[in-house]
Amino acid sequence: MSRGVGVGVLGVLGVVVAACGSGQSILQAGNEPLPTVATTTTVAGPPVTAAPGETLAPTVPPTVATTTTTPLDTLAPCPVDALDDASGPVEITFWHGLGAQLETVLTDLTQQYNRSQDRVRVRLENQGGYNQTIDKYVQSRQESRPELVMFPEYMVQQIADTESVIPVGACVQASGFDTSAFLPRTLLAYQTNGVQWSMPFNVSVPVLYFNRKAFVAAGVDVDDPPLSIEDVRSYSQAIVDSGAAGVGMAFDSGVDSGGGWFIEQWFAKAGELYADNGNGRLAPATRVLYDGAVGVELMTRVQSMITDGIAVTVGDNASGQDALLKLADQQSPAAMTIATSAALGTIISALDGGLIPGLTSADVGVGPMPGPGGTPSALVGGASLYVVADKGDAEAAAAWDYIQFLVGAETQATWAAGTGYVPVRQDALELEPLASTYRDDPRFKVAYDQLTAAADDLAAVGPVIGPLREVRGVTAGAVAAIFDGADVASSLAGAAAQSNALIADYNARN
Amino acid sequence: MAKRTRSRWRDLPTAVWMLTPSLVILSVFVLYPLGQAIWLGHQRCDSQGDNCRSNGWDQYVDVARSDEFLHALGVTVKFVVLTVPIGLALGVGLAMLADKYLRGIGVFRAVFSSTVATSVAVASLMWLFLLQPDVGVLANVGFIEELFPVVKQPGLVRDPGTALGAVAASSIWANLGFTFILVTAGLQGIPRDLHEAAVVDGAGGVRRFWDVTLPLLGPTLLFVMIALTSRAFQAYGEMDLLTDGGPRPQDSTTTLTYLTYGGDSVINNNDGLQAATAVLLFAVLLVVSIVQLGAIGRRIHYA
Repeated sequence: MSRGVGVGVLGVLGVVVAACGSGQSILQAGNEPLPTVATTTTVAGPPVTAAPGETLAPTVPPTVATTTTTPLDTLAPCPVDALDDASGPVEITFWHGLGAQLETVLTDLTQQYNRSQDRVRVRLENQGGYNQTIDKYVQSRQESRPELVMFPEYMVQQIADTESVIPVGACVQASGFDTSAFLPRTLLAYQTNGVQWSMPFNVSVPVLYFNRKAFVAAGVDVDDPPLSIEDVRSYSQAIVDSGAAGVGMAFDSGVDSGGGWFIEQWFAKAGELYADNGNGRLAPATRVLYDGAVGVELMTRVQSMITDGIAVTVGDNASGQDALLKLADQQSPAAMTIATSAALGTIISALDGGLIPGLTSADVGVGPMPGPGGTPSALVGGASLYVVADKGDAEAAAAWDYIQFLVGAETQATWAAGTGYVPVRQDALELEPLASTYRDDPRFKVAYDQLTAAADDLAAVGPVIGPLREVRGVTAGAVAAIFDGADVASSLAGAAAQSNALIADYNARN
Repeated sequence: MAKRTRSRWRDLPTAVWMLTPSLVILSVFVLYPLGQAIWLGHQRCDSQGDNCRSNGWDQYVDVARSDEFLHALGVTVKFVVLTVPIGLALGVGLAMLADKYLRGIGVFRAVFSSTVATSVAVASLMWLFLLQPDVGVLANVGFIEELFPVVKQPGLVRDPGTALGAVAASSIWANLGFTFILVTAGLQGIPRDLHEAAVVDGAGGVRRFWDVTLPLLGPTLLFVMIALTSRAFQAYGEMDLLTDGGPRPQDSTTTLTYLTYGGDSVINNNDGLQAATAVLLFAVLLVVSIVQLGAIGRRIHYA
C-alpha cells in the first residue's frame, strides 16, 4: 500500500462516517426509530397509592412503618436474630469510599466496635471513592460483593433496581429499632414508595461560604447572610458597588454541585417536584420537570446576576475546588459561593496553614444555602449504608448490628465532630464531643440546622431517578450554557428532553 | 521442497506445545475479553450489566453514526493530531540536544527522561494546579496573563476553545520522556563513521540531520509514532482529571475513551453502548495502525 492509498483510505473512511451521521443520540442506537412525539413510557412498578404532590404522611419524625406502602414482605427479609445462632464471631466486609481524615475516624470507630463485642468482626475495605465503589459493586457477582456497602445519595433507585440488597427498613422493623431521634429528612432521602432502602450515615448539605471581611467592607450584615435568590442579588450588588470584592457570588456548573445537585436543592426549596411520580418516590420516575415555569424563572434570575457582572461562573468545577478557590482569586475574588458542608473542616485547616495570603479561617462565614423560598432547608447529600442480600443470615444480622452502632447517638456525636458531617439524629447534639464542637464553632451547626426543617411533602425530599447521575450531567450542560448566556427556556427544554431519553432508556433496560 | 514441508509438519506438535503458554494467556486475557466485548456491543443490559438482550447488530452502525460518537471521534482525531507530531518533534529535539559527549550530560538525560516515571494522574494534577485560574502558578504570572487573557479568564482548561489544547499540552509533556528515551537509543545506534564521512564530504549540521540522522532514525521514529498515536487514541487520565470531558456544554474534551469510560459520560451505566464504542475505537485504531505501517513503513530504511 503506498502512502497515497493509505491517506485515501483514511479520507474515504472519514467522509463516509461524516456523511452518514444520523443526527440521533447514542441512546437510540439499535432501537426502532422513535415516534416524533415524546413518549411517556409506562413503567411496571410498585402500585401507586398516592398522587404526585400528595403529602408524605407525617410531619413529626416519621418511622419507616408509618410511611410503608409497599409490603416489606415482598422484599428480602432481614434476619436480625440470626447472630444469636452463630457459632463464633461473624466476619463481614464493608466497602466504603472515604479517604483521608474521614477514613481515619471511620477506622477508629470500627476498631472500637470490634473491641466492644465478640460476635461481629468488621473488615473495612476502602474502594478509593464513591464512583469506584459503584463501578466495582455493579460489575461484581453477588458472591463477590461485601456484606455492607456505602453508596452516595444519587444511587437509591439504581441499587433498589439491582434487587441485591435487604432494605434497611426490614431490619428496622424486625428489630424494633427506634428511629424517633433521627432527623426525618435523613431517613426520607433513602425511601421510595415507603421502603427504607438504606441507612443514612454520612450526611452533608450545601451551605453558603462567604468572606466576612468583604461583607463588612460592603456594609452588608455579616451575621445575616443572604437566604433568597433576591438577597444574593442585592448582597452581590452591594459588594460590587462598594468594591469590597470583584464579584458577589461565584456559581459553578459541576455535576455534583452547581450544575446538578444544587438545582435539585433549589427545586426542593421552591416546593416543586423535580421529577414525576412524586419525585420518583411513588413509582419510578419517567421524566424530569425542571424545564417548567419555575425552573425557567429561577435560572433566569441566576443568569441575570452573571450577565450583569455581579456574579461569575467558574465552569464545570472539574477540580472540585474551583468555586471555593474563586474566593481566593488574587485579582477579582468572589465574596460568596455555595459548596458542600463537608468542605468546612478542610477549608479551616487549609487557611490556618496559611495557604491563602491575607485570608484566615476566621474570615470564613457560613450561612444556609440561599435559594427560592428564602428559608433554610436542604436535601440530604453524602452517602448511606446498604445491607447486601444473600450473604447469609448471620452476616446480614452482623451488618445490621454494626449499622446500629454506626448510627447510634454516641457514635454519631464522635463521627460528626471528627469529620464535619451532619449527625443523622438530634440526640447526638447533646453528647460530647459534638456538643462542644457546635458550641465552640457555630459554623459547623449551620448544615445541621438546615435539615431540621420539616420535610412535609415529596417535593421537599428530592428526586430519586435511576440514571440520576447522568441526568445531572446533561442538566449541568444546560446550566453551563445558561451561565454563558444561552436562552434559558430552550436550554432547559433540551436538557430535559435528553434527561427523559436517559430515563426511558434506563427504565427499558431495568 | 516436499521434504521441507514434511519436516515442518513434523515440528507442528512441538510448535503448538511451545506456543501454548502465550496462547493460553493471550486467549484468556485478550481474545476472550475482546470477543465478549464485541458480543456485548450489540446488546442492551440493565445497569448491573446483567439481563442482557440483543438489540440487533445495527446497534454498532447506529452508535457509529450517533451525534455523541461522531463528536467524540472528532475530538479524538484533533487530540491525536495535536499531540503526536508535536510530541515527536520535541522528543527528537531534546534527544539531539542530549546526544553530545559532554561532562554531566547524564544529568540532562535523566531530567529529559524523567516524565516517563510520572504517572498520568500525577502529571495531570500538576498541570491542573499550574493552570487553575485563581491560584494557579502559570495563570498568575503577570506577563502571561497580559499576553493571553484566556489563561486567567476563564482559564485554559475552562475555555471551550483552549481546553483540548491544554489537555494535549499536559499529555505531550507526560509522554516526552518516553519519546526521548527511544529516540536517544536510536541515535546511539547510528554509526559515528557515517557522520564523519558526511563531514569529510562537506555536509553541515543541518544537512547531516536531514540526510543521515533522520533516515537512520526511521525505524525508531515509525515505532514511536505508532506508539504515540495509539497512546493518544487511548488517552484517558488527562481528560478525566483535568476536564471531566468538559467544558460543557461543548464537551470539548470528550474523546472516545471518555465517552466510553468517563464518570460523567451519558452512557456511563450502559454496558452495551460502552462496549460498542470501545470496539469501534479498536476498529479505528486498527485501521490507523495498518495505514501507518503500510504507508510509511514501506519507505523506512532498515539498516
